[in-house]
Amino acid sequence: MTFLAKLTCFCWRLLKEVAGENDYARYCRRAGADGAKLMTAEKFYVLQLRQKYSRINRCC
Amino acid sequence: MGVMAAKRIFWLAIALLAALSLAMIAFVRGEPVNAVWLVVAAACCYALGYRFYSRFIALRVLELNDERATPAERLEDGRDFVPTNKWVVFGHHFAAIAGPGPLVGPILAAQFGYLPGTLWIVAGGLVGGCVQDFVTLFCSIRRNGKSLGQMAKEEVSEVGGWTAVLAVLFIMVIVIAVIALVVVNALKSSPWGLSTISMIIPIAMFLGVYLRYFRVGRVREASVIGFMLVLGAVIGGRYVAESPTFAHYFTCGGLSLAWIIIICGFLTSVLPVWLLLAPRDYLATFIKLGTILLLAVGILLAHPQMLLPPLTRFTDGTGPIFAGKVFPFCFITIACGAISGFHSLIATGTTPKLIRKESQARMIGYGGMMIESFVGVMAMVAAAVLQPGVYFAINSPAGVVGATADKATATISGWGFPVTAQTMSDLATRVGEITLFNRTGGAPSLAVGMAHIFSGTLGMGRLEALWYHFAIMFEALFILTLLDAGTRAGRFMLQELLGHFWKPLGRTQWYPGVFITSAIIVAAWGYFLIQGVVDPLGGINSLWPLFGISNQLLATIALCVATTILIKMGKKRYAWVTMAPLAWLVAITMTASYQKIWHPDPRLGFLAQASDLSAQLAAGTIPAAKVAETQHLIFNLRLDAAVTAIFAFLVLVILAESGRNWWLYTVGRKVPVLREAPMKLSRISA
Repeated sequence: MTFLAKLTCFCWRLLKEVAGENDYARYCRRAGADGAKLMTAEKFYVLQLRQKYSRINRCC
Repeated sequence: MGVMAAKRIFWLAIALLAALSLAMIAFVRGEPVNAVWLVVAAACCYALGYRFYSRFIALRVLELNDERATPAERLEDGRDFVPTNKWVVFGHHFAAIAGPGPLVGPILAAQFGYLPGTLWIVAGGLVGGCVQDFVTLFCSIRRNGKSLGQMAKEEVSEVGGWTAVLAVLFIMVIVIAVIALVVVNALKSSPWGLSTISMIIPIAMFLGVYLRYFRVGRVREASVIGFMLVLGAVIGGRYVAESPTFAHYFTCGGLSLAWIIIICGFLTSVLPVWLLLAPRDYLATFIKLGTILLLAVGILLAHPQMLLPPLTRFTDGTGPIFAGKVFPFCFITIACGAISGFHSLIATGTTPKLIRKESQARMIGYGGMMIESFVGVMAMVAAAVLQPGVYFAINSPAGVVGATADKATATISGWGFPVTAQTMSDLATRVGEITLFNRTGGAPSLAVGMAHIFSGTLGMGRLEALWYHFAIMFEALFILTLLDAGTRAGRFMLQELLGHFWKPLGRTQWYPGVFITSAIIVAAWGYFLIQGVVDPLGGINSLWPLFGISNQLLATIALCVATTILIKMGKKRYAWVTMAPLAWLVAITMTASYQKIWHPDPRLGFLAQASDLSAQLAAGTIPAAKVAETQHLIFNLRLDAAVTAIFAFLVLVILAESGRNWWLYTVGRKVPVLREAPMKLSRISA
């Protein structure tokens, strides 16, 4: 794979993480290990957003 | 030759290149300097600062320890505390700190010439802003990710904590009002711009439904779809502007736009977050990062000449965009590109809960702010590539240069910056605007500068109007997102505060409480926004310095907390690292506050202007139709003076509290108690 292709793949994966697309899978792993009842992906998504936007998360 | 010697030669070469580039931008007179010199000078200074100064702080001052488990590892819960890859944390952190401030501030400060602002952005960034972000991030990591307010309460005093909470709330109000004013001035009488931004609301709502019900959480694909639709809206905006039927509906004056923004701000604050705010934020973030990257590439490819002189005659305080001498107002105007107190709220928010290793705080805290500062340098380039006459014609309010094209161009040409009404008319036609006169606030001139750079690259000269409106869309989009996110965060803070007095108001799901607190926050910033819109001097003259002072006040609080913690850590000999920027900030905020309240020049001092207008009222020189408006203006000026005095008072309170503690620790009359989380060995690798 060329350097440019590798860089593009890296950036795409990075974007996926920054966008929080792996958050639900991570939560499932963690909550599953603790034996807790899992939220649905939809409920988890809305809850995460509510938390994120209840505090200062953008700068001037 | 050994590796060490090669490294030394490399860094020596970087230092020499920095010195040469700085000499080029500082000492060349009488001919335009290429913008690449400015970019190279800044890049070399940042490289040196990161390599040597941040390393010194990391190793000697903070003694970062990777053996020590971070909160992300110790308190890992899969949701709030998650050990995360350093590049991902960097992405999160940079996306959060990169706002409109570093783009707009340098544009406004360019009235002094490009040199003072650029030197402040680079030096202030490396010695002030980066240090503040890095040290506060470190302090929060060592305290389980606590917020600035909590740390001020625990490490300084109860009074310090309350000062921080109040300061944040006040600052939110002023920040939102000022950035809203920037959008109003960018979109007024601009059917193309307004129709594009209006279309983004249904696009964001579509994405909200898509992400909530159809492809849950697939942010990347939704953002790609959204970006395509937004591009379509930018292109389609031209047809709206050229349509005799539709252009009329999207041509609004400042006051109507202000009311639209106020109503939208209220609605977004009470609507479910997934519907509008979050999807628009995703879009804004990706477009913002992409455009900044594009601007950097554009400057390097186009390598334009800077036509603005390094220093203008307005360093003496007679500038048309805002009044006041280069000291302190250059340092107040450029807050976010050099040092921004707001960053300390992000550095003590989500970021410390994600970092895997302490050593990564250097790259994320110091490095993140360094990139932000570099964005400020690029904005300065975008202003400096414009013809000075054009730059002043766009940014000067009608109250200063005159309301007609002929009068404005005559005034500006009389200052030694030649410009003609025909030049401005041609430029407005090229970028698809009705007029570019009196478009204060910085956003339109930034868009013209960016369009000039973009269209000068890759032979895309014919697309200047499209680039201009893309730049306006990009600025307005992320300013409106910040406005809505800020209103919502302010509402939550107010609910928390009022919940102490009456519990139901503190419940975030109780709709009457949600409506009341949202209305209070929106009314507070809306009042200042309307005040700015109706101000005959354009609003920026009075509100932007208030914004700068409030932002630097927050930085003062953050640096007071950081200095207190350093002293408590037994690092008194290195306390100058945070004390030096703190002393500078106190000097500029106190001088600026004093001048904005008491200066005898009515253009600068709030009270002098109020007295001047009162005298005119008493003398009967104000037309009867304008009497009520003038009385309102007098009240607003006195209110601005009071707000400035409150900010200055808060600075003095936190300084007095911190100074008292530093003295007691130094003379041994108080035992320093550090509230760090207990040390636990890390089990994860970097």
